[in-house]
Amino acid sequence: MVSPHTLRTTGAIRRTRVALALGATLALAAGLTACAPEPTDPAANISASTDTVTITDNHGEIAVPVNPQRVVALDNTAFDTLAAWDVDLVAAPKGVMGSAWPGYTDDDAVLDIGTHREPNLEMIVAAEPDLIIGGYRFSDQYAEIKKQNPDATVIEIAPRDGEDQFAELKRQTEILGQIFDHEDEAAALNTQLDDAIADAKSNYPTGETVMAVNTSAGQIGYIAPGIGRSLGSIFGALDLTPALEVKNASNDHQGDDISVEAIADSNPDWIFALDRDASFAPAEREAGSAPANELIRDAEALAQVPAVTKQQIVILDPNFYLTEGIQAYTALFTNISEAFAAA
Amino acid sequence: MIENTGLSKTGRNSGAATETGDRPAVRPRTVWALAAAIIVVAGLIAASLAVGVYDISGQAFGSEMFWITRVPRTIALVLAGAAMAVSGLVMQMLTQNRFVDATTSGTTEWAALGLLLTVLVVPEANMVTRMVVSSVAAFIGAMLFMLILQRIVIRSTLIVPLVGIMLGAVVSALTTFLAAQFNLLQMLSTWFMGSFTQIVRGRYEVLWIVGIVTVLVFVFADRITVAGLGKDVATNVGLNYERVLFLGTGLVAIASGVTTVVVGFLPFLGLVVPNIVSMMRGDNVRSNLPWVCLGGIGLVIACDLIGRLIIMPFEVPVSMVLGLVGAVVFISLLLRRTA
Repeated sequence: MVSPHTLRTTGAIRRTRVALALGATLALAAGLTACAPEPTDPAANISASTDTVTITDNHGEIAVPVNPQRVVALDNTAFDTLAAWDVDLVAAPKGVMGSAWPGYTDDDAVLDIGTHREPNLEMIVAAEPDLIIGGYRFSDQYAEIKKQNPDATVIEIAPRDGEDQFAELKRQTEILGQIFDHEDEAAALNTQLDDAIADAKSNYPTGETVMAVNTSAGQIGYIAPGIGRSLGSIFGALDLTPALEVKNASNDHQGDDISVEAIADSNPDWIFALDRDASFAPAEREAGSAPANELIRDAEALAQVPAVTKQQIVILDPNFYLTEGIQAYTALFTNISEAFAAA
Repeated sequence: MIENTGLSKTGRNSGAATETGDRPAVRPRTVWALAAAIIVVAGLIAASLAVGVYDISGQAFGSEMFWITRVPRTIALVLAGAAMAVSGLVMQMLTQNRFVDATTSGTTEWAALGLLLTVLVVPEANMVTRMVVSSVAAFIGAMLFMLILQRIVIRSTLIVPLVGIMLGAVVSALTTFLAAQFNLLQMLSTWFMGSFTQIVRGRYEVLWIVGIVTVLVFVFADRITVAGLGKDVATNVGLNYERVLFLGTGLVAIASGVTTVVVGFLPFLGLVVPNIVSMMRGDNVRSNLPWVCLGGIGLVIACDLIGRLIIMPFEVPVSMVLGLVGAVVFISLLLRRTA
């Protein structure tokens, strides 16, 4: 059980104060340098703690080992944080990680669990984990994973449905901070999110209407304000005025089939677009598909819409669909805030 | 639409010439019936042009919008509807089976596989390349289907579509597997969901190809009809059976390949329309063609209108409505057969 991971984690603890001072910059830099092999010093293993911390995950209270040695993470929303804190993983669902975390996906030592649609759960068992951060796309497999890994602690801390998305993200970060002994950094991340939301809120030209869409396969789908994950939740957080509000809109994140006519008719001042295809295969677009910005900007039918004439279109980060963690939302709110400020 | 009507006259005349003894008394009534059908379809077309979220007459940008979204969508519906219905008729003639169309012969599934392969192998391929590959794949699939049909001994009415459906299932399993491997699954569903939502100016023009296919079917209708009598009869009357089989299959493949790339799956369209027409008018294939055309256009526009209206301002994809209508008609056809 004694391994080089310990050294790195203790190192990370020592860095805590600095990291706090430098804020997200260092966190990002650490994320980039994650997984670089470091020399092993067996003496450092003394600090390998057998402590546990009691947290409340989506299923109730559970005791989790502090600084667990062998971690399996299945929850995309946690990867940014884990990478920033140099947490090594022994297995991960590389199939749904795209190119967002090369530190994990390019490392052959990290076993590949595949995708949530065809998960290779045996890989989790083979990785002999101490801690499994499950949930999100893998929430259906929770019981199975628990059964197959009796020696591991299985937790789910992804944002719960029906709860405030951003409070949930902060809760998740806080729990991760407790487990990996990075509570200060966790607090910093939460503050950054709050600040970004407050900024965007104050820069929002009140009353201007916003429409959230997603684009896939050359189609523009409508994302209902307030419902579901991804863009729906930002309406409530920023108090935005929706350009189109319809009862019985579907509550999933894939958007409803909507004609460009309907978008033109709702005449939005702002369009926020999630490019669904960009995350998986940037170069491999399907028939008739165009990147979201072209699709919207070049649509003849939308030529009269203020969002297009004033170029008030915010396209999400291509990896947003995969990341969706606290960092992704902080970045999104910062982008929105800047766009609002520039208008 | 207009050229179809014009051709239909030619079609009827030549059909009547060979069947003077058959039912001369019906002809005037048929003319009226056809005229009535054309009026109904024209009404549907007008409705399709009139229905939409944007206020065409009231808003300043309205007339622009009319040409940007309404007209292209309606033209696309007309072209795809006519082509898929006529393709179904051709398939039914060539296989001598009433329950065969692009859906039940696996042809659309092959087209989809071709489309997915283009995306995976040549991601930067343009629309035309994709349609060519799709059509070629659809052709391979349709030919394979024909070959299997010629090899099986029991060719009862139901075995033939079953073979096609099984073949299609195998191919679509492969497509799904590939899509799952490359994380294209979610896109795949959007992509093949037959929907005219995003058909706007600049995105439908290639569908004129299937318009040409429809015209060609009219031109070759007699030969296809004779081929439909079976290899022996066709060869006896001096027809190059293989060549016509090849031609007919090719036309169906192009129609389903192009439609799949531009619009997606239009399930059962080619099955329901020709069957309803022959239920009402008998099996005079040549003179049924204009009816099949009108029926295809009418059905697809009606389904699209339903899809557009029931959850306005959102839309239900036409394939969903068609699937529902098609399944009901298909089952009632089966029941009629076995009863």
